[in-house]
Amino acid sequence: MKLGPEEKRIMDKMQPGILTVDGFLGNDNRNLHDIIQEDAEKVEALGYTAEDIGKRMQYLTERSKEAYEEPILIDQKYLVQQDIWRGKVVCPFPHKGLYVKADIHLKNIENGIEISWTPLNIHFIEEHGFFEGKGSKHRLDPETLIKAIY
Amino acid sequence: MEILYNIITATVISGSLSIILVVAEYFFANYGDCKITVNDKKELVVKGGGNLLNALAENKIFIPSACGGRGSCGFCKVKALDGAGPVLPTEKPYLSAKELNNNVRLSCQIKVRQDIKIEIPEELFNIKKFKAKVIEVIDYTYDIKGITFQLLDPDTVDFKAGQYMQLETPKYEKSKQVISRAYSISSIPDNKNALQFIIRRVPDGLCTTWVHDYLKMGDIVNLVGPFGDFYIRDTDTDIIYVAGGSGKAPIKSMVEHAAKYQNPRKMTYFFGARAMKDLYLTEEFQEYEKTMPDFTYVPVLSSPDPEDDWKGKTGFIPPYFKDYIRDPLKTEAYLCGSPGMIAAVEKELTKLGVPNDKIYFDSF
Ligand SMILES: Cc1cc2nc3c(=O)[nH]c(=O)nc-3n(C[C@H](O)[C@H](O)[C@H](O)COP(=O)(O)OP(=O)(O)OC[C@H]3O[C@@H](n4cnc5c(N)ncnc54)[C@H](O)[C@@H]3O)c2cc1C
Ligand code: FES
Ligand SMILES: [Zn+2]
Repeated sequence: MKLGPEEKRIMDKMQPGILTVDGFLGNDNRNLHDIIQEDAEKVEALGYTAEDIGKRMQYLTERSKEAYEEPILIDQKYLVQQDIWRGKVVCPFPHKGLYVKADIHLKNIENGIEISWTPLNIHFIEEHGFFEGKGSKHRLDPETLIKAIY
Repeated sequence: MEILYNIITATVISGSLSIILVVAEYFFANYGDCKITVNDKKELVVKGGGNLLNALAENKIFIPSACGGRGSCGFCKVKALDGAGPVLPTEKPYLSAKELNNNVRLSCQIKVRQDIKIEIPEELFNIKKFKAKVIEVIDYTYDIKGITFQLLDPDTVDFKAGQYMQLETPKYEKSKQVISRAYSISSIPDNKNALQFIIRRVPDGLCTTWVHDYLKMGDIVNLVGPFGDFYIRDTDTDIIYVAGGSGKAPIKSMVEHAAKYQNPRKMTYFFGARAMKDLYLTEEFQEYEKTMPDFTYVPVLSSPDPEDDWKGKTGFIPPYFKDYIRDPLKTEAYLCGSPGMIAAVEKELTKLGVPNDKIYFDSF
């Protein structure tokens, strides 16, 4: 499908050096709706919804705050640690949205999978079904993410 | 998901509309001079065609902005009484029904095409844009630098200890445009012609990568401000300061200022860090214990390295408050750090009886 002006505006904001150093699309040359669509299909095939995944990430993020910025073992299975910075980053989609600058690191001690995300990633997934473009440093491959957090 | 469908359905209609608009703008856009009336007392004459946020900035009126006018932060609100045209779809997500009713608009999205009448908070008239030069760079820790800027034009500033400025960093290899980030001033208000900031590296951060890897002595930047209502209230209560990481900046300004004027209030400063390698300015603050009337510095390490041989306090800060608070009702708290730290500290202080309205921090 053709790239509309609204989608183009969002993709312009997602380029490197606009809102963040590397942007959100990596080296993925597809249009935003194709990126979102492919991941939506993957998530559905695995029996989840993006909203569920976002909520799960939010739960683990919130629980890890109990240890401030030290590591904490959650539900006997997830070793989580957060680095929280000052300031907030804006969402490139058209709505009011500011998200804490932080890096959340999780290790699933049952299967050894380690992943990291930011509060903006949670919002992207929950509200926009956006896992970021391929090659983006902060992309969360749905399959790996699901294996890590469930 | 809804956004995705909106994107797709909006594609065809807005695609053709925007082509017509761009073509029309190209052929007919000459708006000549336009008058902007601000708060019924200031009249600015600007060349039409640009956005209101920039037109005001060119006339030295600085409306807060966290996204540089890209319509993503919703900070640049003004009340537009006349001449601003209809509310654009790019503005609507940021405006509540009440704000829409009150003609509140995003100034970065308003094009100046005719005379405009607006209203802004009076205090915004005090905010200035300063051209400044890097004159000192100190490595406080492996990820924290102290940067001092000499003000060139204007060459002096008035601010209260605890306030912050917006630092505009130039375009560089990793940033396609000028970006602007808030930094608390760490020097004291008496130094009117130079400002120090304490800046912590955020991995892959757009601004902090520039500060840590590209900035050099003599570089010229713009600073806009001062902003914020995080400053010491003029009372005689005890004071608890709590900071972590780069949160030391505004507290350094507050304590140094209090030291200079021998402020007699009882002050306790808790500084939270992970290990010894994250501590900085320790001797300076310990020195204030000797030179100030009633000041105590309490560094707390959450996970000291074995080689640190740390004999001081460990763990989290909140459990130590009760040992230092004499009368919670006569205590003010000034907090600076990450939102998680602020939330935890606020919770504990409230539990101990410190009134909520006496707990101050930069909310953002
Ligand atoms: C009032 C105030 C005062 C402040 N004072 C100070 C101070 O004194 N000292 C100080 O050091 N800081 C201070 N800050 C913070 C400062 O304004 C900046 O926010 C901070 O330095 C980081 O800016 P940056 O441009 O380097 O990071 P940015 O590039 O803006 O943001 C980086 C963050 O964005 C997120 N992110 C980046 N890319 C992606 C991606 N692809 N997907 C998902 N998430 C992503 C991550 O969370 C990452 O941590 C203050 C902030 C405020 C509001
Ligand atoms: S400046 Fe950020 S929305 Fe206008
Ligand atoms: Zn969003």
